[in-house]
Amino acid sequence: MNGLLRSELRKTFSTKLWWALLIPVLVLSILINLFGGLFTDALAAVSAGSGPVPLLLASMAYALALTSVFAAIAGIVATAGEFRHRTITTTYLTAQGRGPVLIAKMAVSGLVGALYAAAAVVVGVLAGLVGQGDAAFPAAGPLLAVVLIGMVVAALWAAFGAALGTVISNQVGVLVSALVYLLFGELLISALLNNADNPATGLISSYLPGNAGDVALYDIPAQVLASPGLGARYVEVLAGVTSPPPWWGALLVLAAWTAAAAAAAWVVGDRRDVT
Amino acid sequence: MNDRSGRVTVRELTKYFGPVAAVEGLTFAVEPGTVTGFLGPNGSGKTTTLRMVLGLVTPTAGETRINGVPFAELTHPAQVVGAVLEAQGFHPARTARRHLLACAAAIGVPDTAVEHVLGSVGLATAADRAVGGYSLGMRQRLALAVALLGDPQVLILDEPGNGLDPEGIAWLRAFLRGFAGQGRSVLVSSHLLAEVEQTADHIVVISHGRCVYQGGLDQLRGSRRARVLVRCAAPAELAEALARSGVLEIDTLPDGWLGVADADPVRVGDTALAADVAVYGMVEEKIDLEHLFFQLTVGQYAAPPQSWPQHGPPPPGSAPYGPGPGR
Repeated sequence: MNGLLRSELRKTFSTKLWWALLIPVLVLSILINLFGGLFTDALAAVSAGSGPVPLLLASMAYALALTSVFAAIAGIVATAGEFRHRTITTTYLTAQGRGPVLIAKMAVSGLVGALYAAAAVVVGVLAGLVGQGDAAFPAAGPLLAVVLIGMVVAALWAAFGAALGTVISNQVGVLVSALVYLLFGELLISALLNNADNPATGLISSYLPGNAGDVALYDIPAQVLASPGLGARYVEVLAGVTSPPPWWGALLVLAAWTAAAAAAAWVVGDRRDVT
Repeated sequence: MNDRSGRVTVRELTKYFGPVAAVEGLTFAVEPGTVTGFLGPNGSGKTTTLRMVLGLVTPTAGETRINGVPFAELTHPAQVVGAVLEAQGFHPARTARRHLLACAAAIGVPDTAVEHVLGSVGLATAADRAVGGYSLGMRQRLALAVALLGDPQVLILDEPGNGLDPEGIAWLRAFLRGFAGQGRSVLVSSHLLAEVEQTADHIVVISHGRCVYQGGLDQLRGSRRARVLVRCAAPAELAEALARSGVLEIDTLPDGWLGVADADPVRVGDTALAADVAVYGMVEEKIDLEHLFFQLTVGQYAAPPQSWPQHGPPPPGSAPYGPGPGR
């Protein structure tokens, strides 16, 4: 297993993709945190009168939510790319079993996702210090919590992507499907669920994978920035969900989705004829 | 468990892709210390068979074993069997050295092995170039380098001659002989008999996913006897004279020549002289293995395949195995 992990690390860092995806992550994080005030005006208005507010928390959460999309892409390409370039044959021939290959790929992709989140945080904090001079700098506790949650969300999305790329081995197909779902599909589904006649269906929206990541990220900023008791309401607005679970519950939901994708990848990958 | 013999066995192997039978009831073995040539036209099921041996394709029925166990049960599989397959890819932007380093980690061999194999396949100077800029021959060499990385006991190669220049092919032949000479096993596929004729000790010929011949090359040659073709003034008289002297297998060919089996030109000439028959020409018919191979595998896309009893050549004269006596 150690050998497979090392092999996957060497594969990841011997092509340009990892930094090609890191660039938009960094640029987005800089822009979002530089102009964070614009994104979080609504929250600031609520707290008006109580002095400067730590806007950086919310802009950072938003930047990390976008980072997780790029983490997912990195994970998808880590597996589907092997089918595209037909290197999967060599990968399977040099490993004992396909299950360990899947686990190693999910683990290394998760690491890459966490690194993306960490990089987004570093440049995001610097940009926030420059661009949000009027706002208060967040307390260490909530900021650290948002950072760690962001790293876990990005890691889970990257691992999710690696599993997805094993289930659907057509790289273009799986990338397009995943992006369309994340950027439009889930918004549409959430809107339908939230506006259904039966209010219970709205509850489902928090349990979609993309929303779960957003809920986990926005929970703490909303609690800090919004007046007491209104935190959940703001998470609902930001993530587009109804009655969200707390951040740890949302993380568990995302982890469950990742585990389900991994199980599907295990079964599909194991039975696939590599011709 | 793994018996470390280096033996590869294929038993009653069958694979259907949908309703199409790619391989049907294939049985053969690759013995340590030998090179086995795996021959058949394109589309006859060679690649599918090799991929089943390597655990990449799941058989519909039957089994394959390496060192007595299925591929999936080998611990450190790449240290037991190395493979060069068609359509085995490389990431175009990755350099050969980095590709090999990633493989070395997965295989479980130290990084120093990478330099070693790069040298032995002659890629040391091109190792830091992206594989996207490689020629087909260089990719084949890189694929071979990956196969050798784990210092395997068994080497499986699918059409390795494709893309190699004549020098590369000669080098590969010598390499495979040397590899088998160390007591290891080689299974090499090709659609050209000539390509493995000088290398293989044993051949397995398949057509339409079924085995049509397996055995030694000498047996294949021996399955068709040499003939002397004679053009003479009175074929009937010569045939009669030859028959009297004990040469019984004589064919009259459509163009008036006689085909005399089991006789040498001296004997035919002497007999003709004794019988007062003028001889205008005599030709010793060479046994053309490529022709035999073609006849074994012909009709893959036309008639249903013929299946022979395995191990050893079919009896001489049994149609359509070569133009036997009387035809």
